[in-house]
Amino acid sequence: MGGTFSLGWLAWRSLAARPVRSVLTAIGIALGVGVLAASLATSAGIDAAVDRTVVDILGRADLRVAAFQEAGLSAETIQAIRATGGVEAAASTLERRTYLRRPVAFVGALPAPVSVLGIEPDVDASVHALRLAEGAAIDRPDAPTALITERLATEDGYGIGGEVTIQALGDSETFRIVGIIDGDGPILGSNGRTVVIPMDAARRIFGAEGVDSVDLTMTAGSSATEVIAALEANLTREPYVLSTPTELASSLRASTADFQATTALIAAIALFVGAFLIFNTFSMTLSERVRELGLLRAAGATRRQAMGFVLTGALIVGVIGAALGVFIGLGLAALIAAHVRTIGAIPIDDVAFPLGGATLAFLVGLVVTVAAALEPAWRAGRIPPIEALRAGLDLAPARRARLRWLVVVFAAVAVVGLLAWPRAAGEAGIVTSLAVYAILLGATLLSPFLLGPLGRLAGIPFAAVLALEERLARGSLARDRSRTALTLGALTIGLAMIVAIGGVAQDARRSAGAWLEDVVPGDEVLTSIRPVGLDEGVEASMTAIDGVARVTPIARFDLALRGARVDAAAVIGSDLLADGRLTFVAGDRATALASLDRGGTAIVAASVADRLGLTVGDLMSFAVGDGRTVRLTVSGVAERTLPGAGGETILVGWSDAVDSFGVAGADVFAVRFAAAAGTSAGDAARASVHEMARERALEPAALNRIEGAVSDALGRVFALFDALAVIAVLVAALGIVNTLTMNVVERVREIGVLRATGMTRRQVRQMIVVEAGVLGLVGAFLGVVVGLLAGAVLVGASGGFSGPAELPWGSIGLAVVLGVAASMAAAYYPARIASGLPIVRAVQFE
Amino acid sequence: MPGDRFPNPTIRRDGTGFVPHTHTEVHLMSAILEARDLTKRYRLGETDVDAVRGVSLSVQEGEFVALMGPSGSGKSTLLHLLGGLDRPTSGEVVLEGEVVSELSDEDATRLRRDKTGFVFQSFNLIPLLDVTENVALPFTIAGGSRDAEQATRVRDAIALVDLADKAHHRPDQLSNGERQRVAVARALVTAPALLLADEPTGNLDYTTGSEILDALWLSCVARKQTIVLVTHDSKAAAYADRVLVIGDGQIREEIVLGRRAVHDAAPLIARLAQLGL
Repeated sequence: MGGTFSLGWLAWRSLAARPVRSVLTAIGIALGVGVLAASLATSAGIDAAVDRTVVDILGRADLRVAAFQEAGLSAETIQAIRATGGVEAAASTLERRTYLRRPVAFVGALPAPVSVLGIEPDVDASVHALRLAEGAAIDRPDAPTALITERLATEDGYGIGGEVTIQALGDSETFRIVGIIDGDGPILGSNGRTVVIPMDAARRIFGAEGVDSVDLTMTAGSSATEVIAALEANLTREPYVLSTPTELASSLRASTADFQATTALIAAIALFVGAFLIFNTFSMTLSERVRELGLLRAAGATRRQAMGFVLTGALIVGVIGAALGVFIGLGLAALIAAHVRTIGAIPIDDVAFPLGGATLAFLVGLVVTVAAALEPAWRAGRIPPIEALRAGLDLAPARRARLRWLVVVFAAVAVVGLLAWPRAAGEAGIVTSLAVYAILLGATLLSPFLLGPLGRLAGIPFAAVLALEERLARGSLARDRSRTALTLGALTIGLAMIVAIGGVAQDARRSAGAWLEDVVPGDEVLTSIRPVGLDEGVEASMTAIDGVARVTPIARFDLALRGARVDAAAVIGSDLLADGRLTFVAGDRATALASLDRGGTAIVAASVADRLGLTVGDLMSFAVGDGRTVRLTVSGVAERTLPGAGGETILVGWSDAVDSFGVAGADVFAVRFAAAAGTSAGDAARASVHEMARERALEPAALNRIEGAVSDALGRVFALFDALAVIAVLVAALGIVNTLTMNVVERVREIGVLRATGMTRRQVRQMIVVEAGVLGLVGAFLGVVVGLLAGAVLVGASGGFSGPAELPWGSIGLAVVLGVAASMAAAYYPARIASGLPIVRAVQFE
Repeated sequence: MPGDRFPNPTIRRDGTGFVPHTHTEVHLMSAILEARDLTKRYRLGETDVDAVRGVSLSVQEGEFVALMGPSGSGKSTLLHLLGGLDRPTSGEVVLEGEVVSELSDEDATRLRRDKTGFVFQSFNLIPLLDVTENVALPFTIAGGSRDAEQATRVRDAIALVDLADKAHHRPDQLSNGERQRVAVARALVTAPALLLADEPTGNLDYTTGSEILDALWLSCVARKQTIVLVTHDSKAAAYADRVLVIGDGQIREEIVLGRRAVHDAAPLIARLAQLGL
């Protein structure tokens, strides 16, 4: 095997002879692998968080019976559950949101809310598994003791032995903290701010009659099917939802699917861009080493050995780069996890780096590297010994092969991407991602043809200042069209991702904003921590405030339709009509809204109508317990309705809500002011409303603040995607360094002549920087166009807002600046080489 | 008669050919270029190599000097030092009163642009630019607006090398000889104080090579162009007024030919043969 060894040694020497290029290539691979590893680790972190949350929520429970109506599950139902055969233990829980009273009075906005969880201390431990970081569990049902989550303790400065005062309906109540719950606690979406108190206290504080859910364990030997059947026979009093831990986990996972899919797509793109870099690097090295390879062949090296020489080099770079990438991925994953945690909507755990994921990322990096080097290696094997020894061998025919090979690499990365695809992301995600991926590839294949005309355009601003430099720079870019095209393609793809993400973000923000404004009949919403009965007079007393035009109560609740949970909201139709809310796609607006108040009808959102196949006039049957059903006729389909927990709501009138569905009261009041904020009348009205809200424990929030919170959360998610896409641009910039350097190396003599003819070092540097600038501008232009296209596909696939699209100017600006800046920064090294060339050696260079 | 310009042509003959001039220093009136005790030392692996060893010389305005010598004799290195392309280890080069060897990189660049022109062995044209643009390159590099006088100079330079009909051809549309003529025109276009040519005919066949040398000679005659030519070809060297024979980094021999309308290399070849070159 002596031959192989020396070949490997030669390959190593060849890499060492071009340290900058080799290192840049390895870093390019490392960044691509890093993003992939981070994406896998993030996915694993999300999965782990989901699994943990399921355990935190359900503990040892085998089944959860959740209340369907606002009144909750009655004591009789709990009794019936406990009496069901096969049920070993059953523990009920009640969950509400409220605020903690600070020990000292504070002025200004309300603090972040907390979730309060009521438990049955005597049976809870046998069903749930609250993990305590310190202290002890609540031992007595009647003691005023509480557990708080570690995060809440840290954020608000509570400790064991301290007291928490919970804002109740009437007077607030104080509990002594006896234990700290490990981590974020058992309630998802509470941002880790949870207080656990005895059930009786919780019911008293929130005026709740029933409980939210009952979690149960089964006796050994009983089967879930039997227990479920028994429960279904026993529980006839009120509607409920039965779910298993698996169902809970999959519904949690579904909410993170888009996030995971997008991260995976960006990882695939970073890898693809990395593959460009590798391919270009080895092609360049090959054209430089043609003579050397020819010599090897003349000296008796076989084709396989010549191929082996190139592939060994790729393998070395691949191993180093991929290993480095795994470590980068580790750090990146930690950063992503920290960032995602600030968003709150997506659960994520710290990732003990999964060995499987690390190995997968490493292998994928290696495979992509070697795959990208296969074509150059194959070409290396086909170099005729005699021709290689001739000076100035033209590898032109091989250049066309590069683009063909690109398609193969694209396919390879796509296949790898499919293999590494997160299960949760679903098939629609795959199709969309492949479509986006194909658009990017198409743009790359077109770029050699667009390079000339676009380059001329992009050169105009530079030519105005540096005519000669611009001309020579453009000539240099045209020297090896396919090499430039590949480099440009990588840059285009990275920048396109940024623009596409910007487009999607814009659409998401816009639809979120437009949605609320279109459907909420108010400038502010007042949220209650308990249902406020319509007979309590809140509406009337607030409407009496000068400057308040309208106050309308809204209740959000769940309905059971065709065996599935749907979101519903109780509204006053005439208020919506008077306020001019809702855009109807079917049915008459005035008739539909008026009929809501009379009862017997409902308005559904277009998305719900599509999903359930409903049209105006259809009859919907809702199960309301005791085997009874309530039927409502679809009186209209609105483009958007009020948002619910899991989607848009079915709007029903208050009479149906109270009489048929047991809705106890409003949890939201929408307030429309007569005067705008900022005017003295408007501000006075707002102040009065806020004062009244405080008295009644209602939390006021301006609609634009809610929109702001939504777009802030969106902003954080998309900022993360942007950051990942920037890494792809970074990889592309490494490719630019390589290409520009190659362009310098190939025209050393030309640069020597220019210097001998009187070009200053500065002018030479400028020439290279202009070359990079033209490349950057063309890349930015193509990136913006392709990105808008890809963004439209992504938006369309997610059923996004269908109105006339507004361009994501922020992202476009970012892409242009980043494209030009990254390219010009990439020119630093080659420009230094070029301007530092000794003239005498340069003009004699062959 | 072009030679008439020389007030006192130092042509020495005997019956067989040229009388060797044994001094290494030649003193002429109104020297445009002077080199004083030039040394260039290179580091080659573990050893130092003296490519140029204590050379002093002087070139008069309008003079055509050839540096001849075998490969590795140091003639190209000497040319690079004279043109400010390279810095001497010691000694100095003075061009039109300016000490070239002491200039900063920036000033040396300016000097190359304004006062010298180079013609290299390879046809170093910018492939992207056509003939006119290549010739105008020094003006373009210098920047500023192109004035009518520059345009005239470019046209004249192209006419001098007889390429007026191909003024807008790209380098790849020209023969090797034509390319090198473009390089000559480019070197001449600024009317530099000094034109340096490094084996300009090295890559050309005999006929094409003669075209280049004719062009150089013509510029010398018609424009009083000072030329220093490096060559190992005695036919090329025979175009010069004076030949300095370089060996081991030193001037070994000075052969004064004087300006001649008809070039006959035979006597020079004979003399060089005597010297073993």
